[in-house]
Amino acid sequence: MTQNWATEHLQAIRTLMERSAIYRRALAPITLLVGSIGAVAAAIGWLVGIESHRGFGLYWIAVCLVALAGAFLLVRRQALKDAEPFWSSPTRRVAQALLPPFLVGLVACVLMALPRWREPLQIWWLPPIWMVLYGCALHAAGFFMPRGMKLFGWGFVLSGCAILALLNQRSYASGMPAIVNAHWLMGATFGGFHLAYGAYLHFTEKRKNEA
Amino acid sequence: MNPEPFLQLDRVIHEKGRLAIMSLLAASPQLSFTEMRDTLNMTDGNITAHLRTLQEAGYVSMTKEFQGGRPLTTFALTSPGRKAFTNYINLLEQIVQQTKSGK
Repeated sequence: MTQNWATEHLQAIRTLMERSAIYRRALAPITLLVGSIGAVAAAIGWLVGIESHRGFGLYWIAVCLVALAGAFLLVRRQALKDAEPFWSSPTRRVAQALLPPFLVGLVACVLMALPRWREPLQIWWLPPIWMVLYGCALHAAGFFMPRGMKLFGWGFVLSGCAILALLNQRSYASGMPAIVNAHWLMGATFGGFHLAYGAYLHFTEKRKNEA
Repeated sequence: MNPEPFLQLDRVIHEKGRLAIMSLLAASPQLSFTEMRDTLNMTDGNITAHLRTLQEAGYVSMTKEFQGGRPLTTFALTSPGRKAFTNYINLLEQIVQQTKSGK
């Protein structure tokens, strides 16, 4: 009886300590915003016809910066609304977890967009590399976020690996497709995946609040 | 069973609401009033009363500042508070071990 009581107390303390370290701020709006930006940017990239390898890399880096700025504003707005510090402990942990893969993604893009790069179609490798890195970033951040985030990260990692394998096969068989089609890949993954997960978060969070 | 560890449990922390507050603060350098209230599903009055008791015991410190023109109140564990919390956990573990070994 006493042991049960003490064990339950310890379990409750552990749960509360874990809950305190979890980031939950504006997840659904951020995911939906990033998904919308990704989908719209893909359509614009295809319509405008950004076909050079440098143009593709720089364009999507700019899209990434716009998405990050939008996410930052949403987090800040939520923090002000809830009278919470913006740079809270969970926010700091999530940012630290995201930073290394994001940095590698930027470096990969800069290297591939360099003028001396011999084969422009090699830029096709960039979307799956970004997907894998982004998946790793989400998975790392998922340790300080609700459980679904790690699975979402795995989705990006596995899809990125599958696309890498397909591209590898294609590059040997019939060469790479035109760069303009890579916009659709970015739209389907960074746009579509986020929109689907954002919709899931939106409805499940709503249901939890109603319960 | 040796009742000594149970008798040594800090009565200020042992109360359910205050233990929950201490647990949250032990895992974060600082937390705002609203963060704690929403995480613990407590009323404003309830959490204020518990925080006051913890402040009076010297376990929790309060900081008032402004963020974006709005007042922001944050709380953190003090050094004695962290020590008392660690001691409380150690005693609980001792109780569990004692009961397991049948002393």
